[in-house]
Amino acid sequence: MISQYSGISPKGDLILLHKLGEKLNNRSFLHINSTRAGGGVAEILHRMIPILKDLGIDARWEVIEGDERFFDITKKIHNSLQGNFERITEDMWQHHYEVNRRNAERLDLDADAVLIHDPQPAPLIEFRKSGRWMWRCHIDMSNPVKEVSDYLIRYCSRYDAAIFSVAKFTRAMGIDEFIIPPSIDPISEKNRELTDEEIKETLNKFQIPTDRPIILQVSRFDRFKDPIGVIKAYRLVKKYNDCILILAGSPATDDPEGEIVLKEVQDYASDDPDIHILLLPPFSDKDINALQRAATVVLQKSLKEGFGLTVSEGMWKGKPVIGGATGGIPLQIIHGVTGFLVHSVEGAAFRIRQFLNNPEMASRMGEKGREYVRNNFLITRQIRDYLSVWYVIENKGRSVLEL
Amino acid sequence: MAEMIDPFEFKQCISLLKSTGKKAKNLRELRDAIAVVSDESIFHHTYQYFLKGHVLEYTNDFAHWAGESLEERALSEHLSNIDPYAFRNIDELRHELLNVIDSYLENFPEPREAMIGDEFYFNETITLTFPVGIKVKNLAEFLIAVKYIDAAAIYYHFYEARVRLGVDDFSKWLEDSLNKKELSEKIRSIDLFMHSIEGIREHIIEAVEREVRTEMEVIER
Repeated sequence: MISQYSGISPKGDLILLHKLGEKLNNRSFLHINSTRAGGGVAEILHRMIPILKDLGIDARWEVIEGDERFFDITKKIHNSLQGNFERITEDMWQHHYEVNRRNAERLDLDADAVLIHDPQPAPLIEFRKSGRWMWRCHIDMSNPVKEVSDYLIRYCSRYDAAIFSVAKFTRAMGIDEFIIPPSIDPISEKNRELTDEEIKETLNKFQIPTDRPIILQVSRFDRFKDPIGVIKAYRLVKKYNDCILILAGSPATDDPEGEIVLKEVQDYASDDPDIHILLLPPFSDKDINALQRAATVVLQKSLKEGFGLTVSEGMWKGKPVIGGATGGIPLQIIHGVTGFLVHSVEGAAFRIRQFLNNPEMASRMGEKGREYVRNNFLITRQIRDYLSVWYVIENKGRSVLEL
Repeated sequence: MAEMIDPFEFKQCISLLKSTGKKAKNLRELRDAIAVVSDESIFHHTYQYFLKGHVLEYTNDFAHWAGESLEERALSEHLSNIDPYAFRNIDELRHELLNVIDSYLENFPEPREAMIGDEFYFNETITLTFPVGIKVKNLAEFLIAVKYIDAAAIYYHFYEARVRLGVDDFSKWLEDSLNKKELSEKIRSIDLFMHSIEGIREHIIEAVEREVRTEMEVIER
């Protein structure tokens, strides 16, 4: 498994992974999140667990179960941590805790290291048995609703360490807080090389013409991803350059709002035949890969973003990317070097036009982007960092460690 | 019998980023935090700037933030001119940073605030070092290794070494083990602030390649 990354990932990362694998050999590493499908966390866990096992680590992945009310509450918690006001009553927090308590009874929480992903399973720390516990926050918590983040921090501050994707998401919690960006897997169905035939197959399936440039945004139908803003930008571009817009997204089981937003987007697109709104079933990775490879310009015009890995996905395919200057997107897009950062619909439209009219610049930035992703945003780097945090916690107090 | 040469062992390091919990939204807050933040944090925001591998408008994170987020161009030029390797320890460097900011604040007492979300976040790093399994014992092997080694190894031996030894690992080995004084000086004189890591790699390759070519032309009698 890990050998498949030779010649793709930086060699140093692979060497360090093997060394950490030797140090942590046969020890158990449990990951817990709240959905098996949909969204970046589940996606990366699907890929990460087999690699960890291949490195000699006894890795497990568990998913907490909850009723509709639980996911409604956690969606509200999620929204307020991203800065949208939602009222979370004591009763709701109690239900959040109670569902976690029931999961704790069901799940085997015994492990040498436990990595809890996002707020949904955060209360599991109350049922800790052994090992080092780390809380992994994938959300943009730079400007949260204070009461909600304060309540959640009661749980989080009991962990050995917290991990955030970006420095500005960190909160003062009185524990070690590491900054580890997420990653993409270059050999997964979503990112592997595709043949022209495979790309064509997808385009035919969705009846997407190839006679004009394609603007693409892949993301959940979520207001923070600004799908309406993307359509507005496309309409501005369309006055100057004939093009096609694809908005593609998969539903996630922990996101009850998705359907409402999808309806809004469909209404707004009205009957424009050049706007293709694709609701892809889970595990449509190959189709997403093909759409990204067929695209002329890849957009991620988010207003709020955890990290926005679709940016790295586009960059890995050598595509020119345009992203909203929010969350982790500025870490991936070095403005003017690996793509463009924008702050408005008009900005997005202007940069799309620039790319459409300067193919040489588009391909130069695309190449730079691919190399930048290779060095910074591949899954091997992320696993390397998780294992390093575990190793560092066990060797606390030292700022330089030799392996 | 041929003289035994100490091989050069390539190593590299990764830096695990850790938050200090401190941030600044204007120049005064930046100044006050620089005065008290850990040595590791000052180290990270100055010496480790080149780990980022792109750039190169500035030479450290403080200059970068002053230029990009506060839009205080003159201050960013002053800060960029600070050479961290010119100081004996982090405290001396910290004092120089404070001197530059203080004198700027005397002339321009009310610089603007950074936009929300664009504050300066003080981080520090925990470094993990490890050998990459490549040892070389002559110039030709060294040349091939430098060509293909990860950029992070170039960083470790060219930048990070100066903090450990006061000089880069490459030129030290070339002088001490291969007796290549001239080549060593050439490599030592590459301006580490004026190039990205890839740029440094190219300069080293160019200098070593020239030396290898010259060596090949020598007719031994």
